[in-house]
Amino acid sequence: MPALRGSLTYSRFFVSGDLPDDFRERFMRAIRLRSMKPLEPDEEELERSGWAKLGEPFVVDLAYDDVFFNEYVVLGFRTDRWVIPGPVLRTRVKEAEAAYLEKKGRERLSKKEKAELKLMVSKKLRRHLAPATRSVDLSWAIGEGVVRFFSHSQKPAAAMMELFKKTFGLELVPESPYTAASRLGLSKDQEKAWHDLEMTYLASSPKRSLLDEAAEEEE
Amino acid sequence: MSAEPINMADRIELRRFVGRELLLWLWLETELFEATLATKEHGSFGLWLEGRLVLNEGQESTIIKGSAPGMNREAKEALLRGKMPDRAGLHLSFGDHECTLTLRGETLAFAGLVPPRKQKEEEAPPLDAPPARRKKKQSDAGANDLAHEAFYDRMHFARDVEGLTTALYRDFLAVRLSPAWDSHVVPALEKWVAGKEVDVERYRAARDKVVRSKRG
Repeated sequence: MPALRGSLTYSRFFVSGDLPDDFRERFMRAIRLRSMKPLEPDEEELERSGWAKLGEPFVVDLAYDDVFFNEYVVLGFRTDRWVIPGPVLRTRVKEAEAAYLEKKGRERLSKKEKAELKLMVSKKLRRHLAPATRSVDLSWAIGEGVVRFFSHSQKPAAAMMELFKKTFGLELVPESPYTAASRLGLSKDQEKAWHDLEMTYLASSPKRSLLDEAAEEEE
Repeated sequence: MSAEPINMADRIELRRFVGRELLLWLWLETELFEATLATKEHGSFGLWLEGRLVLNEGQESTIIKGSAPGMNREAKEALLRGKMPDRAGLHLSFGDHECTLTLRGETLAFAGLVPPRKQKEEEAPPLDAPPARRKKKQSDAGANDLAHEAFYDRMHFARDVEGLTTALYRDFLAVRLSPAWDSHVVPALEKWVAGKEVDVERYRAARDKVVRSKRG
């Protein structure tokens, strides 16, 4: 639970857009609507994300006090995913295919039949498994307009940004040298210099460009 | 920065290298100024590279670990081979704070930032006197309050460190986007990376002039 204990590892996102006057009530309703709905074995979806209580991913029935810590909105971004070990799935699919062929008295399966059998076997196996759950803490400092997302991975960050937008109707802009420079505000001269920037290289021999290499190859 | 007819995602991607240059500049300055930097808001404070320094170029990486990874010759040689810092372990000593973290150049994200422990957390509970029993509800409320308090402390601490790195980035941009980068910083970097002596006072005078003018 990096937001609550241990060392802090996070990425920052800046909230773009204004909050409505009654944002607390509205957000609470929107969060409840998008709280995590656990995956069911018979569903088609293999992965799903939703909001959970900060630090307690299996608490998805969220109360106001779970979400609002004074000027912060705090949430867990939970993602569930079905993970069936590859060898187990392959073995079970082969068994099911053999049984099906024997029953039908045939030697080959069509592509469609193979896919249907695989899906049927997957669903059956899922009933004996629990989905893999991952939860990433999130804190939104409302006054600052900053979301701290306690992960550096790109995939959960992208999924979180999407869910955030669906929930709150607000875009998140990830922190980067460009966005930090924009926030700091550059003078006209600086903007021009920024536009023309080229990376500084300290390499002892200048880097050969791809064009140089291509020209040499042609010769 | 609105003149470019390209979208935000491209603008972000095209300037990620600036964050790597920030790490390079911090590395240079911590060595030239003997780990004592300053910003307008924070005054003088301690900052040095510590722990892990990762340099790369494409798929090739050099990872240097130690109490002063930047002083390692291999680190400078990696720069001479065209690699740039990707992330750097930093030790900060400012105000009442003493902490370490890893700063990522391309995202300006923090990793492993260790908040200071509060005094009451450090004190061991007395062994001879068990805590007085409280009703469960009171106990839950108390625990909740403590958790909230710890959370606020951690967020305020994170914000303080972010404030410091933002001030450093602002000063870096002042220098990077001025003619002083090519006239003073790049020559200093070239000497420094080659192990030659840098005229520290001349460098300091040039960078301070630019930084002061941009601070207003």
